[in-house]
Amino acid sequence: MAALSLSAGDARLSPSQLLDGLLRRDEFAATIVWSIRMPRLMVATLIGAALSASGLVMQAYFRNGLASPGLLGVSAGGAAGAVVAIGCGLAAVSLLTVPLFAVAGALAATGAVILLGRRGASTERLLLAGVALNALLGAVTSYVLSAHTITYERNAQILFWLIGGLEDRTWEHVWMAAPVLPAALLLLPLGRPMDLLSLGADEAQSLGVDVRRLRRRLLVLSTVLTALATAVAGTVGFVGLVVPHILRLLIGPEHRRLVPLSLVTGAAFVVGCDLLGRAAGDLRLGIVTALVGGPFFLWLLRRDGR
Amino acid sequence: MDSLSQLRDRRRPRNLGPVHLRRLFRAVAPLLAAFWMLAAGYAAPAARVVSQTVGSDELLLAVAAPEQIAALSHLARDPVFSGVARAAAAHPQIALGDAETILRFRPTLALFADYSRAELVEQVRRAGVEVMVFDRYKTLDDAHANLRRLAAALGSEAQARAKRIVYSDTNRIAALREKLARARLARVIAPSAYGVIAGAETTFQDLCDRAAAENLATTLGGLRGHAAPPGEKLLAWPVDRVVVAGESAEEALAPYRRLPPYRFLPAVREGRAAVIPAWMLGCVSHLRVEAYETLARALHPEIFAE
Repeated sequence: MAALSLSAGDARLSPSQLLDGLLRRDEFAATIVWSIRMPRLMVATLIGAALSASGLVMQAYFRNGLASPGLLGVSAGGAAGAVVAIGCGLAAVSLLTVPLFAVAGALAATGAVILLGRRGASTERLLLAGVALNALLGAVTSYVLSAHTITYERNAQILFWLIGGLEDRTWEHVWMAAPVLPAALLLLPLGRPMDLLSLGADEAQSLGVDVRRLRRRLLVLSTVLTALATAVAGTVGFVGLVVPHILRLLIGPEHRRLVPLSLVTGAAFVVGCDLLGRAAGDLRLGIVTALVGGPFFLWLLRRDGR
Repeated sequence: MDSLSQLRDRRRPRNLGPVHLRRLFRAVAPLLAAFWMLAAGYAAPAARVVSQTVGSDELLLAVAAPEQIAALSHLARDPVFSGVARAAAAHPQIALGDAETILRFRPTLALFADYSRAELVEQVRRAGVEVMVFDRYKTLDDAHANLRRLAAALGSEAQARAKRIVYSDTNRIAALREKLARARLARVIAPSAYGVIAGAETTFQDLCDRAAAENLATTLGGLRGHAAPPGEKLLAWPVDRVVVAGESAEEALAPYRRLPPYRFLPAVREGRAAVIPAWMLGCVSHLRVEAYETLARALHPEIFAE
């Protein structure tokens, strides 16, 4: 899928040109491959892994299959940060202005969630706080949208962050999303404790799991993963909800297997959706993830019901 | 006799031998070289320009030689947005997408506006393409400055064309001002079916300033940019004409006859409209001179009938 992603694009490079580009034997092809397609592929891989793993963690944390990365308002925070930067006309200042504002927004929302988690809030309270944060940050986004409708293009930029996309991602975006890798590594050994947590907090505690500590770690990792993904690609919906579910339907509920597989499958899912979107005339990533994931998920549910 | 033979000698055509030719070449060669160097310095650079916005399309088509135009924006042929829709049909268009849609035309210069996505501009710049970003386009002076800036990058012929355009525009503006000197300001608004109305610091405000019109959204509404109309207050504004885009008043007013608050406005009910082509309401290039004249004619037909 990565090879397909590298060979697809408007510049229509032949396989030999693609090879020349990869080996830097042709300057134009090298620019297309190394400056445009490769960072896009890397960002797609990183955000796919991040969102999918984050969704899995959220579902384990809340012991609810409807939980997703956007539940606690982190995605909304990232989108609000980006939209404020665009609305204030700061998008053209630097390549990193909007992503940095998105990071700031997502981290502010993350901070609020973690603070609540530290004070030992119950999952219900955390959920309610997430609803409130989502509403508050959604209002900020809507205000900026309604107050800064001066140019069509500026609104198009805002839409990019609200729907999510991978156009023109650079190596800076890759570096910004790179902490997804250490976060994923920290998540890998938590598969077994997550399995025990899925039995219930008391049962997990009696089996030797420090539930409070585990929950705090899961919360931090999940929100950080979501924040990183939102900062570089906007709000990409459905990945964190559908990929863990699909995996659960295919291989069962064991988190020891689900954690690594969700990282890989999430990455592949987003890369594939990006490819499809490009083939369909540059459809936004968020639209494709929902269009592809939704029917596939419904089919799996129907098959499982039988 | 001697003097007579000398005179005949001078009149007789001289037989130019190799020695003479060599002498002639020695005398002329430095002149030819100087002329060639001068011509090379003034000749149009072999630019291949891609334009990413409609505003820059209009500037480019005005000053560039056809062979210098590599591709125009994705909206260039859309008469709703573009004042050069017909002329644009002769040139390729970029698709709406990432940097590859621009780079595939192998440009040496790419034109953007400050509302173009920063990542897109950066990707094109990093591919070694010279990038020109227009960041002032609110007035005709801005448009002329942009025209000169672009022409300077395209060579002496483009500069000469730009000079002629600015000269002609200046004369047209002076003639329009003279014609409208004693015109009573027409009180207007420019409604939009998207729930906003054009206030100060918009292209429409600039049109009003040049076409002897008072934009009530600015003077009575105190609105800036494209903002939501004050529903009830708007009905009390003494609107002489609504400025709408379309082919005929009936067709252009039809959506507003159903849309509150405009449907209750006497000017809309009574069909008092000034109809201008859609692209003129958002024109950011020198072509806005045509928009000034068109709006002035629509608002003050009695003056132009004289």
